[in-house]
Amino acid sequence: MSVIEVKDLVRDYVIGEGLFNKKKKVVHAVKGISFSVEKGEIFGLLGQNGAGKTTTIKMLITMLAPTSGICKVLGYDTFGQEKMIRNRINFVFGGEYGLYRRLSARDNLKYFANLYKMPRKERDERVEELLALVGLTDRADTRVETFSKGMTQRVQIARGLINSPEVLFMDEPTIGLDPLGAEMLRETILEVNSKGTTVLLTTHNMYEADELCGRIAIIKEGELLALDTPAAIKGRLTPRKAKPAVQEEITLEDAYIQLVKGGDDA
Amino acid sequence: MKSSSVLLTSMLVQMKQTFSRNMFKFTLFVGPFLTTIILGEMYRHSTADNFVAYVVLGSGLWSLWNCIAFSSAGDIHRERYSNTLSIIFSAPADFRLILLGKIFGNTVLSMGSFFLSIFYATLLYRHPIIVNNWPLLIAALALAIVAFIIMSIFIAYLLTLSRKTTIYMNCLEIPFALICGFVFPIENLPQGVQYFSWIFPPTWAVRLLRYSVTETAYGFWENFIPLVITMAVFAVLAAWLYRIIFRQSKILGTLDMA
Ligand SMILES: Nc1ncnc2c1ncn2[C@@H]1O[C@H](COP(=O)(O)OP(=O)(O)OP(=O)(O)O)[C@@H](O)[C@H]1O
Ligand SMILES: [Mg+2]
Repeated sequence: MSVIEVKDLVRDYVIGEGLFNKKKKVVHAVKGISFSVEKGEIFGLLGQNGAGKTTTIKMLITMLAPTSGICKVLGYDTFGQEKMIRNRINFVFGGEYGLYRRLSARDNLKYFANLYKMPRKERDERVEELLALVGLTDRADTRVETFSKGMTQRVQIARGLINSPEVLFMDEPTIGLDPLGAEMLRETILEVNSKGTTVLLTTHNMYEADELCGRIAIIKEGELLALDTPAAIKGRLTPRKAKPAVQEEITLEDAYIQLVKGGDDA
Repeated sequence: MKSSSVLLTSMLVQMKQTFSRNMFKFTLFVGPFLTTIILGEMYRHSTADNFVAYVVLGSGLWSLWNCIAFSSAGDIHRERYSNTLSIIFSAPADFRLILLGKIFGNTVLSMGSFFLSIFYATLLYRHPIIVNNWPLLIAALALAIVAFIIMSIFIAYLLTLSRKTTIYMNCLEIPFALICGFVFPIENLPQGVQYFSWIFPPTWAVRLLRYSVTETAYGFWENFIPLVITMAVFAVLAAWLYRIIFRQSKILGTLDMA
Protein backbone atom coordinates (compact mmCIF):
# COMPACT_ATOMS: atom_id res chain seq x y z
CA MET A 1 0.00 0.00 0.00
CA SER A 2 1.31 3.42 -0.94
CA VAL A 3 1.59 5.98 1.82
CA ILE A 4 0.27 8.67 -0.50
CA GLU A 5 -2.04 7.86 -3.35
CA VAL A 6 -3.25 10.58 -5.69
CA LYS A 7 -5.26 9.74 -8.77
CA ASP A 8 -6.85 12.15 -11.27
CA LEU A 9 -6.92 14.72 -8.51
CA VAL A 10 -8.75 17.93 -9.39
CA ARG A 11 -9.26 21.08 -7.38
CA ASP A 12 -11.14 24.13 -8.57
CA TYR A 13 -11.52 27.33 -6.62
CA VAL A 14 -14.68 29.32 -7.14
CA ILE A 15 -13.95 32.95 -6.52
CA GLY A 16 -16.34 35.85 -6.20
CA GLU A 17 -18.93 33.73 -4.47
CA GLY A 18 -21.21 35.62 -2.18
CA LEU A 19 -24.58 37.11 -1.58
CA PHE A 20 -24.14 40.24 -3.67
CA ASN A 21 -21.50 39.00 -6.01
CA LYS A 22 -23.21 37.09 -8.76
CA LYS A 23 -20.19 36.83 -11.04
CA LYS A 24 -18.34 33.62 -10.35
CA LYS A 25 -14.96 32.74 -11.65
CA VAL A 26 -13.48 29.28 -11.50
CA VAL A 27 -9.74 28.79 -11.07
CA HIS A 28 -8.56 25.34 -12.07
CA ALA A 29 -5.69 24.98 -9.64
CA VAL A 30 -5.08 21.25 -9.97
CA LYS A 31 -6.21 19.53 -13.17
CA GLY A 32 -6.13 15.80 -12.68
CA ILE A 33 -2.72 14.78 -11.39
CA SER A 34 -1.74 11.26 -10.37
CA PHE A 35 1.21 10.01 -8.39
CA SER A 36 1.94 7.80 -5.43
CA VAL A 37 4.58 7.86 -2.74
CA GLU A 38 5.88 4.78 -1.00
CA LYS A 39 6.85 4.43 2.62
CA GLY A 40 10.24 5.91 3.43
CA GLU A 41 10.53 8.06 0.32
CA ILE A 42 11.45 11.71 0.12
CA PHE A 43 9.27 12.97 -2.67
CA GLY A 44 9.62 16.39 -4.27
CA LEU A 45 6.83 18.43 -5.79
CA LEU A 46 8.26 21.08 -8.09
CA GLY A 47 6.63 23.71 -10.25
CA GLN A 48 6.33 27.39 -10.97
CA ASN A 49 4.46 29.87 -8.78
CA GLY A 50 0.78 29.05 -9.02
CA ALA A 51 1.39 25.55 -10.39
CA GLY A 52 -0.81 24.00 -7.71
CA LYS A 53 1.74 22.63 -5.25
CA THR A 54 0.30 24.20 -2.11
CA THR A 55 -3.22 23.29 -3.21
CA THR A 56 -2.14 19.66 -3.62
CA ILE A 57 -0.51 19.63 -0.19
CA LYS A 58 -3.59 21.17 1.43
CA MET A 59 -5.72 18.38 0.02
CA LEU A 60 -3.25 15.79 1.31
CA ILE A 61 -3.22 17.19 4.83
CA THR A 62 -7.04 17.19 5.15
CA MET A 63 -7.28 20.97 4.96
CA LEU A 64 -9.00 21.21 1.61
CA ALA A 65 -11.51 18.98 -0.16
CA PRO A 66 -10.70 17.68 -3.64
CA THR A 67 -13.14 18.70 -6.36
CA SER A 68 -12.77 15.19 -7.78
CA GLY A 69 -10.34 12.32 -7.91
CA ILE A 70 -8.69 10.13 -5.33
CA CYS A 71 -6.59 11.61 -2.55
CA LYS A 72 -5.47 9.09 0.04
CA VAL A 73 -2.92 9.18 2.81
CA LEU A 74 -2.01 6.02 4.72
CA GLY A 75 -4.86 4.32 2.89
CA TYR A 76 -7.58 6.73 4.03
CA ASP A 77 -9.44 9.44 2.14
CA THR A 78 -8.21 12.84 3.19
CA PHE A 79 -11.73 14.16 2.86
CA GLY A 80 -14.18 12.10 4.88
CA GLN A 81 -11.71 9.96 6.86
CA GLU A 82 -9.70 12.81 8.37
CA LYS A 83 -9.80 11.30 11.85
CA MET A 84 -7.84 8.25 10.73
CA ILE A 85 -5.05 10.39 9.30
CA ARG A 86 -4.54 13.53 11.35
CA ASN A 87 -2.70 11.99 14.29
CA ARG A 88 -0.21 10.28 12.03
CA ILE A 89 0.82 13.15 9.77
CA ASN A 90 2.03 16.70 10.15
CA PHE A 91 2.95 19.59 7.94
CA VAL A 92 5.22 22.61 7.77
CA PHE A 93 4.43 25.68 5.73
CA GLY A 94 7.15 28.10 4.80
CA GLY A 95 6.84 31.69 5.89
CA GLU A 96 6.16 33.55 9.05
CA TYR A 97 2.55 32.58 9.61
CA GLY A 98 1.11 29.57 11.34
CA LEU A 99 2.20 30.30 14.89
CA TYR A 100 0.83 32.30 17.79
CA ARG A 101 3.11 35.28 17.58
CA ARG A 102 2.26 36.55 21.04
CA LEU A 103 3.30 33.31 22.67
CA SER A 104 6.81 32.07 23.25
CA ALA A 105 8.32 29.32 21.14
CA ARG A 106 7.96 26.86 24.00
CA ASP A 107 4.32 27.77 24.65
CA ASN A 108 3.54 27.40 20.96
CA LEU A 109 5.06 23.94 20.83
CA LYS A 110 3.39 22.84 24.05
CA TYR A 111 0.02 24.01 22.83
CA PHE A 112 0.31 22.27 19.48
CA ALA A 113 1.48 19.13 21.26
CA ASN A 114 -1.73 19.27 23.28
CA LEU A 115 -3.74 19.42 20.06
CA TYR A 116 -2.02 16.18 19.09
CA LYS A 117 -3.18 14.78 22.42
CA MET A 118 0.25 13.93 23.76
CA PRO A 119 0.59 12.95 27.43
CA ARG A 120 2.13 15.73 29.48
CA LYS A 121 5.44 14.08 30.29
CA GLU A 122 6.05 12.91 26.74
CA ARG A 123 5.02 16.34 25.51
CA ASP A 124 7.47 18.24 27.70
CA GLU A 125 10.34 15.96 26.74
CA ARG A 126 9.49 16.22 23.07
CA VAL A 127 9.28 20.01 23.21
CA GLU A 128 12.75 20.30 24.78
CA GLU A 129 14.17 17.81 22.31
CA LEU A 130 12.77 19.76 19.37
CA LEU A 131 13.87 23.14 20.71
CA ALA A 132 17.38 21.75 20.89
CA LEU A 133 17.10 20.25 17.43
CA VAL A 134 16.21 23.59 15.84
CA GLY A 135 18.71 25.44 18.01
CA LEU A 136 16.24 27.59 19.91
CA THR A 137 16.69 26.37 23.47
CA ASP A 138 18.16 29.72 24.52
CA ARG A 139 15.32 31.73 23.06
CA ALA A 140 12.53 29.33 23.91
CA ASP A 141 10.78 31.70 26.28
CA THR A 142 10.78 34.76 24.07
CA ARG A 143 7.71 35.68 22.11
CA VAL A 144 7.72 34.48 18.52
CA GLU A 145 6.86 38.00 17.30
CA THR A 146 10.37 39.10 18.23
CA PHE A 147 11.98 36.33 16.17
CA SER A 148 13.67 36.73 12.82
CA LYS A 149 12.15 35.07 9.78
CA GLY A 150 14.49 32.12 9.99
CA MET A 151 13.92 31.61 13.70
CA THR A 152 10.16 31.67 13.17
CA GLN A 153 10.61 29.11 10.43
CA ARG A 154 12.53 26.88 12.82
CA VAL A 155 9.67 26.97 15.31
CA GLN A 156 7.37 25.90 12.49
CA ILE A 157 9.64 22.99 11.70
CA ALA A 158 9.66 21.94 15.33
CA ARG A 159 5.85 22.18 15.32
CA GLY A 160 5.71 19.92 12.29
CA LEU A 161 7.75 17.25 14.06
CA ILE A 162 5.91 17.45 17.36
CA ASN A 163 3.91 14.25 16.96
CA SER A 164 6.74 12.30 15.29
CA PRO A 165 4.63 11.99 12.16
CA GLU A 166 4.69 8.99 9.85
CA VAL A 167 4.23 11.31 6.91
CA LEU A 168 5.58 14.84 6.88
CA PHE A 169 4.44 17.40 4.33
CA MET A 170 6.62 20.45 3.84
CA ASP A 171 5.71 23.39 1.66
CA GLU A 172 8.84 25.42 0.90
CA PRO A 173 10.35 24.62 4.30
CA THR A 174 13.71 26.28 3.63
CA ILE A 175 12.24 29.60 2.49
CA GLY A 176 13.86 32.42 4.42
CA LEU A 177 16.51 30.25 6.05
CA ASP A 178 20.16 31.22 5.82
CA PRO A 179 22.51 28.72 4.13
CA LEU A 180 23.45 27.12 7.43
CA GLY A 181 19.85 26.96 8.56
CA ALA A 182 18.84 25.42 5.25
CA GLU A 183 21.64 22.88 5.54
CA MET A 184 20.52 22.08 9.08
CA LEU A 185 16.98 21.55 7.87
CA ARG A 186 18.10 19.29 5.07
CA GLU A 187 20.01 17.21 7.60
CA THR A 188 16.96 17.12 9.82
CA ILE A 189 14.82 15.96 6.92
CA LEU A 190 17.30 13.21 6.10
CA GLU A 191 17.45 12.21 9.74
CA VAL A 192 13.69 11.91 10.29
CA ASN A 193 13.49 10.12 6.96
CA SER A 194 16.13 7.62 8.03
CA LYS A 195 13.92 6.84 11.02
CA GLY A 196 11.08 5.92 8.69
CA THR A 197 9.15 9.15 8.12
CA THR A 198 7.92 9.58 4.57
CA VAL A 199 8.46 13.15 3.37
CA LEU A 200 6.71 15.11 0.65
CA LEU A 201 8.17 18.54 0.07
CA THR A 202 7.98 21.43 -2.32
CA THR A 203 10.84 23.75 -3.01
CA HIS A 204 12.03 26.24 -5.59
CA ASN A 205 15.60 25.29 -4.82
CA MET A 206 16.65 22.71 -7.41
CA TYR A 207 19.88 21.89 -5.66
CA GLU A 208 17.90 20.99 -2.58
CA ALA A 209 15.44 18.86 -4.52
CA ASP A 210 18.30 17.05 -6.21
CA GLU A 211 20.08 16.43 -2.94
CA LEU A 212 17.09 15.28 -0.95
CA CYS A 213 14.50 13.71 -3.17
CA GLY A 214 14.42 10.15 -4.38
CA ARG A 215 11.73 11.05 -6.87
CA ILE A 216 10.35 14.28 -8.19
CA ALA A 217 7.07 15.34 -9.75
CA ILE A 218 7.08 18.50 -11.81
CA ILE A 219 3.72 20.17 -12.22
CA LYS A 220 2.82 23.02 -14.51
CA GLU A 221 -0.47 24.87 -14.40
CA GLY A 222 -2.06 22.05 -12.45
CA GLU A 223 -0.87 19.25 -14.71
CA LEU A 224 1.81 16.67 -14.21
CA LEU A 225 4.75 17.28 -16.51
CA ALA A 226 7.27 14.73 -15.31
CA LEU A 227 7.61 12.13 -12.59
CA ASP A 228 10.96 10.47 -12.11
CA THR A 229 14.22 10.33 -10.19
CA PRO A 230 16.34 13.51 -10.34
CA ALA A 231 18.95 11.57 -12.32
CA ALA A 232 16.43 10.44 -14.91
CA ILE A 233 14.98 13.93 -15.21
CA LYS A 234 18.45 15.30 -15.76
CA GLY A 235 19.06 12.47 -18.17
CA ARG A 236 16.29 13.69 -20.40
CA LEU A 237 18.27 16.78 -21.15
CA THR A 238 21.44 14.96 -21.87
CA PRO A 239 21.20 13.41 -25.31
CA ARG A 240 20.46 16.39 -27.51
CA LYS A 241 21.41 19.46 -25.61
CA ALA A 242 24.54 18.64 -23.70
CA LYS A 243 27.88 17.72 -25.08
CA PRO A 244 29.21 14.48 -23.55
CA ALA A 245 32.10 16.33 -21.96
CA VAL A 246 29.89 18.54 -19.82
CA GLN A 247 27.31 15.88 -19.05
CA GLU A 248 28.38 15.68 -15.44
CA GLU A 249 27.65 19.34 -14.91
CA ILE A 250 24.04 19.21 -16.00
CA THR A 251 21.97 20.31 -13.07
CA LEU A 252 18.40 19.58 -12.16
CA GLU A 253 17.81 23.27 -12.66
CA ASP A 254 18.77 23.05 -16.35
CA ALA A 255 16.47 20.12 -16.85
CA TYR A 256 13.66 21.75 -14.90
CA ILE A 257 13.81 25.00 -16.83
CA GLN A 258 13.73 23.17 -20.09
CA LEU A 259 10.80 21.00 -19.08
CA VAL A 260 8.73 23.87 -17.76
CA LYS A 261 9.45 26.06 -20.74
CA GLY A 262 7.90 23.40 -22.89
CA GLY A 263 10.96 21.51 -24.00
CA ASP A 264 10.50 22.67 -27.61
CA ASP A 265 13.90 24.30 -27.77
CA ALA A 266 15.64 21.14 -26.62
CA MET B 1 -3.99 13.72 26.73
CA LYS B 2 -7.70 13.95 27.24
CA SER B 3 -10.32 16.26 25.80
CA SER B 4 -10.47 18.24 29.02
CA SER B 5 -6.88 19.25 28.55
CA VAL B 6 -7.52 20.46 25.00
CA LEU B 7 -10.28 22.59 26.46
CA LEU B 8 -8.18 23.85 29.34
CA THR B 9 -5.01 24.62 27.39
CA SER B 10 -7.00 26.33 24.63
CA MET B 11 -8.57 28.47 27.31
CA LEU B 12 -5.27 29.37 28.96
CA VAL B 13 -3.51 30.07 25.67
CA GLN B 14 -6.44 32.23 24.67
CA MET B 15 -6.28 34.26 27.87
CA LYS B 16 -2.55 34.68 27.64
CA GLN B 17 -2.76 35.96 24.09
CA THR B 18 -5.82 38.10 24.57
CA PHE B 19 -4.39 39.82 27.56
CA SER B 20 -1.35 40.89 25.61
CA ARG B 21 -3.49 42.76 23.09
CA ASN B 22 -3.97 46.45 23.73
CA MET B 23 -7.33 46.52 21.98
CA PHE B 24 -8.59 43.97 24.42
CA LYS B 25 -7.38 45.97 27.38
CA PHE B 26 -9.43 48.83 25.99
CA THR B 27 -12.51 46.60 25.64
CA LEU B 28 -11.94 45.30 29.13
CA PHE B 29 -11.20 48.48 31.06
CA VAL B 30 -12.34 51.51 29.07
CA GLY B 31 -15.36 49.99 27.32
CA PRO B 32 -17.35 49.44 30.53
CA PHE B 33 -16.53 52.99 31.61
CA LEU B 34 -17.99 54.46 28.42
CA THR B 35 -21.13 52.34 28.44
CA THR B 36 -21.67 53.16 32.10
CA ILE B 37 -21.54 56.89 31.39
CA ILE B 38 -23.84 56.65 28.37
CA LEU B 39 -26.40 54.62 30.27
CA GLY B 40 -25.94 56.61 33.46
CA GLU B 41 -26.81 59.85 31.66
CA MET B 42 -29.76 58.22 29.89
CA TYR B 43 -31.27 57.06 33.16
CA ARG B 44 -30.07 59.93 35.34
CA HIS B 45 -33.49 60.72 36.72
CA SER B 46 -34.80 57.22 37.09
CA THR B 47 -35.66 55.35 40.23
CA ALA B 48 -33.22 53.23 42.17
CA ASP B 49 -34.38 49.87 40.85
CA ASN B 50 -34.39 51.24 37.31
CA PHE B 51 -30.87 52.39 37.90
CA VAL B 52 -29.76 48.91 38.85
CA ALA B 53 -31.77 47.27 36.08
CA TYR B 54 -30.68 49.53 33.25
CA VAL B 55 -27.45 51.27 34.18
CA VAL B 56 -25.64 48.70 36.28
CA LEU B 57 -26.93 45.58 34.58
CA GLY B 58 -27.15 47.25 31.18
CA SER B 59 -23.56 48.33 31.04
CA GLY B 60 -22.45 45.10 32.68
CA LEU B 61 -24.24 42.99 30.10
CA TRP B 62 -23.12 45.15 27.24
CA SER B 63 -19.50 44.78 28.33
CA LEU B 64 -19.93 41.09 28.93
CA TRP B 65 -21.40 40.62 25.47
CA ASN B 66 -18.61 42.61 23.83
CA CYS B 67 -15.94 40.63 25.56
CA ILE B 68 -17.43 37.22 24.90
CA ALA B 69 -18.98 37.45 21.46
CA PHE B 70 -17.00 40.23 19.89
CA SER B 71 -13.68 38.81 21.02
CA SER B 72 -14.59 35.29 20.02
CA ALA B 73 -15.53 36.51 16.56
CA GLY B 74 -12.35 38.58 16.41
CA ASP B 75 -10.31 35.53 17.34
CA ILE B 76 -11.52 33.61 14.31
CA HIS B 77 -10.58 36.60 12.20
CA ARG B 78 -7.11 36.84 13.72
CA GLU B 79 -6.49 33.11 13.54
CA ARG B 80 -7.39 33.16 9.88
CA TYR B 81 -4.95 36.00 9.19
CA SER B 82 -2.12 34.32 11.07
CA ASN B 83 -2.88 31.04 9.25
CA THR B 84 -3.39 29.22 12.52
CA LEU B 85 -7.11 28.65 11.92
CA SER B 86 -6.41 26.04 9.25
CA ILE B 87 -3.82 24.43 11.51
CA ILE B 88 -6.05 24.06 14.56
CA PHE B 89 -8.86 22.95 12.27
CA SER B 90 -6.67 20.20 10.80
CA ALA B 91 -5.25 19.01 14.12
CA PRO B 92 -6.42 15.75 15.70
CA ALA B 93 -8.08 17.61 18.56
CA ASP B 94 -11.76 18.39 18.11
CA PHE B 95 -12.18 21.92 16.77
CA ARG B 96 -15.32 22.31 18.88
CA LEU B 97 -13.30 21.84 22.06
CA ILE B 98 -10.63 24.28 20.94
CA LEU B 99 -13.26 26.89 20.15
CA LEU B 100 -15.11 26.29 23.38
CA GLY B 101 -11.85 26.69 25.28
CA LYS B 102 -11.29 30.02 23.59
CA ILE B 103 -14.79 31.20 24.41
CA PHE B 104 -14.39 30.10 28.04
CA GLY B 105 -11.16 32.09 28.17
CA ASN B 106 -12.94 35.15 26.88
CA THR B 107 -15.77 34.57 29.35
CA VAL B 108 -13.43 34.50 32.33
CA LEU B 109 -11.78 37.72 31.19
CA SER B 110 -15.11 39.34 30.45
CA MET B 111 -16.31 38.73 33.99
CA GLY B 112 -13.68 41.29 34.88
CA SER B 113 -15.32 43.83 32.65
CA PHE B 114 -18.74 42.98 34.06
CA PHE B 115 -17.65 43.67 37.60
CA LEU B 116 -15.74 46.74 36.52
CA SER B 117 -18.84 48.29 35.00
CA ILE B 118 -20.75 47.65 38.22
CA PHE B 119 -17.91 49.27 40.09
CA TYR B 120 -17.92 52.28 37.76
CA ALA B 121 -21.68 52.65 38.02
CA THR B 122 -21.71 52.69 41.80
CA LEU B 123 -18.70 54.97 41.96
CA LEU B 124 -19.95 57.51 39.43
CA TYR B 125 -23.62 57.71 40.30
CA ARG B 126 -23.78 56.69 43.94
CA HIS B 127 -27.21 55.22 43.59
CA PRO B 128 -28.04 52.62 46.19
CA ILE B 129 -27.92 49.10 44.80
CA ILE B 130 -31.32 47.63 45.43
CA VAL B 131 -31.96 44.10 44.28
CA ASN B 132 -35.19 42.31 45.01
CA ASN B 133 -34.03 38.76 44.71
CA TRP B 134 -30.29 38.16 44.96
CA PRO B 135 -30.29 34.37 44.45
CA LEU B 136 -32.40 34.81 41.34
CA LEU B 137 -30.10 37.54 40.11
CA ILE B 138 -27.08 35.27 40.40
CA ALA B 139 -28.88 32.35 38.78
CA ALA B 140 -30.12 34.60 35.97
CA LEU B 141 -26.62 35.95 35.47
CA ALA B 142 -25.28 32.43 35.12
CA LEU B 143 -27.99 31.70 32.56
CA ALA B 144 -27.19 34.91 30.70
CA ILE B 145 -23.55 33.86 30.46
CA VAL B 146 -24.53 30.46 29.11
CA ALA B 147 -26.79 32.20 26.58
CA PHE B 148 -23.90 34.44 25.50
CA ILE B 149 -21.59 31.45 25.15
CA ILE B 150 -24.08 29.59 22.97
CA MET B 151 -24.49 32.66 20.76
CA SER B 152 -20.72 33.07 20.54
CA ILE B 153 -20.23 29.48 19.41
CA PHE B 154 -22.89 29.99 16.77
CA ILE B 155 -21.29 33.21 15.53
CA ALA B 156 -17.76 31.78 15.55
CA TYR B 157 -18.92 28.83 13.43
CA LEU B 158 -20.48 31.19 10.92
CA LEU B 159 -17.26 33.14 10.72
CA THR B 160 -15.27 29.98 10.06
CA LEU B 161 -17.24 29.57 6.88
CA SER B 162 -16.92 33.11 5.59
CA ARG B 163 -13.90 35.28 5.02
CA LYS B 164 -15.90 38.48 5.40
CA THR B 165 -15.50 38.49 9.15
CA THR B 166 -15.37 42.23 9.66
CA ILE B 167 -18.81 42.80 8.16
CA TYR B 168 -20.40 40.44 10.64
CA MET B 169 -18.41 41.83 13.51
CA ASN B 170 -19.78 45.30 12.93
CA CYS B 171 -23.31 43.93 13.23
CA LEU B 172 -22.46 42.29 16.49
CA GLU B 173 -21.70 45.01 18.92
CA ILE B 174 -24.21 47.85 19.07
CA PRO B 175 -27.10 46.48 16.97
CA PHE B 176 -27.16 43.29 18.96
CA ALA B 177 -27.03 45.13 22.28
CA LEU B 178 -30.04 47.19 21.19
CA ILE B 179 -32.04 44.30 19.76
CA CYS B 180 -31.59 42.20 22.87
CA GLY B 181 -32.57 45.05 25.13
CA PHE B 182 -29.32 45.54 27.01
CA VAL B 183 -29.75 49.30 26.89
CA PHE B 184 -33.50 49.93 26.96
CA PRO B 185 -36.52 47.63 27.03
CA ILE B 186 -37.24 46.02 23.69
CA GLU B 187 -40.82 47.30 24.07
CA ASN B 188 -39.41 50.66 22.94
CA LEU B 189 -38.43 49.10 19.62
CA PRO B 190 -40.83 48.91 16.66
CA GLN B 191 -43.09 45.87 16.88
CA GLY B 192 -41.47 44.18 13.88
CA VAL B 193 -38.05 44.38 15.48
CA GLN B 194 -39.41 42.98 18.72
CA TYR B 195 -40.36 39.73 17.00
CA PHE B 196 -36.77 39.56 15.87
CA SER B 197 -35.55 40.15 19.43
CA TRP B 198 -37.57 37.18 20.66
CA ILE B 199 -35.43 34.81 18.61
CA PHE B 200 -32.30 35.45 20.64
CA PRO B 201 -31.72 33.92 24.07
CA PRO B 202 -29.93 37.02 25.45
CA THR B 203 -33.21 38.95 25.14
CA TRP B 204 -34.88 36.60 27.62
CA ALA B 205 -31.86 36.42 29.86
CA VAL B 206 -31.86 40.19 30.15
CA ARG B 207 -35.54 40.25 31.03
CA LEU B 208 -35.05 37.59 33.64
CA LEU B 209 -32.22 39.62 35.14
CA ARG B 210 -34.40 42.73 35.27
CA TYR B 211 -37.13 40.73 36.91
CA SER B 212 -34.74 39.60 39.61
CA VAL B 213 -33.92 43.23 40.32
CA THR B 214 -37.36 44.84 40.24
CA GLU B 215 -39.80 41.92 40.36
CA THR B 216 -42.31 44.17 38.68
CA ALA B 217 -41.10 44.52 35.12
CA TYR B 218 -41.76 40.99 33.88
CA GLY B 219 -42.79 37.68 35.32
CA PHE B 220 -40.48 34.74 36.00
CA TRP B 221 -41.91 31.89 33.97
CA GLU B 222 -42.77 34.01 30.93
CA ASN B 223 -39.08 34.75 30.60
CA PHE B 224 -37.49 31.60 31.95
CA ILE B 225 -39.31 29.26 29.58
CA PRO B 226 -38.54 31.22 26.37
CA LEU B 227 -34.94 31.53 27.56
CA VAL B 228 -34.52 27.79 27.95
CA ILE B 229 -36.26 27.12 24.64
CA THR B 230 -34.24 29.65 22.63
CA MET B 231 -31.02 28.45 24.22
CA ALA B 232 -31.84 24.88 23.28
CA VAL B 233 -32.71 25.94 19.74
CA PHE B 234 -29.44 27.80 19.28
CA ALA B 235 -27.45 24.97 20.84
CA VAL B 236 -29.01 22.52 18.38
CA LEU B 237 -28.46 24.97 15.51
CA ALA B 238 -24.81 25.36 16.50
CA ALA B 239 -24.29 21.60 16.61
CA TRP B 240 -25.87 21.31 13.19
CA LEU B 241 -23.86 24.24 11.87
CA TYR B 242 -20.66 22.52 12.97
CA ARG B 243 -21.43 19.50 10.82
CA ILE B 244 -21.83 21.85 7.90
CA ILE B 245 -18.71 23.91 8.47
CA PHE B 246 -16.63 20.81 9.03
CA ARG B 247 -17.28 19.85 5.42
CA GLN B 248 -17.99 23.16 3.75
CA SER B 249 -14.94 25.04 4.99
CA LYS B 250 -12.82 22.44 3.24
CA ILE B 251 -14.93 22.53 0.11
CA LEU B 252 -14.96 26.33 -0.10
CA GLY B 253 -11.37 26.67 1.11
CA THR B 254 -12.15 29.54 3.49
CA LEU B 255 -9.93 28.50 6.36
CA ASP B 256 -6.96 30.58 5.34
CA MET B 257 -6.23 33.69 3.38
CA ALA B 258 -4.05 32.22 0.66
N1 LIG C 1 -8.04 30.18 -1.82
C1 LIG C 1 -7.92 30.35 -3.14
N2 LIG C 1 -8.90 30.92 -3.86
C2 LIG C 1 -8.79 31.07 -5.18
N3 LIG C 1 -7.73 30.68 -5.91
C3 LIG C 1 -6.70 30.10 -5.27
C4 LIG C 1 -6.74 29.91 -3.85
N4 LIG C 1 -5.58 29.31 -3.47
C5 LIG C 1 -4.86 29.15 -4.61
N5 LIG C 1 -5.52 29.62 -5.68
C6 LIG C 1 -5.07 29.59 -7.09
O1 LIG C 1 -4.74 28.26 -7.43
C7 LIG C 1 -3.56 28.21 -8.24
C8 LIG C 1 -2.54 27.32 -7.59
O2 LIG C 1 -2.08 27.94 -6.38
P1 LIG C 1 -1.07 27.24 -5.38
O3 LIG C 1 -0.98 28.09 -4.17
O4 LIG C 1 -1.45 25.83 -5.20
O5 LIG C 1 0.31 27.32 -6.19
P2 LIG C 1 1.79 26.93 -5.77
O6 LIG C 1 2.25 25.91 -6.75
O7 LIG C 1 1.84 26.57 -4.35
O8 LIG C 1 2.56 28.30 -6.03
P3 LIG C 1 3.79 28.97 -5.22
O9 LIG C 1 5.03 28.37 -5.74
O10 LIG C 1 3.69 30.41 -5.62
O11 LIG C 1 3.56 28.76 -3.78
C9 LIG C 1 -3.14 29.65 -8.44
O12 LIG C 1 -3.65 30.08 -9.66
C10 LIG C 1 -3.81 30.39 -7.32
O13 LIG C 1 -4.10 31.70 -7.68
MG1 LIG D 1 2.74 27.42 -2.68
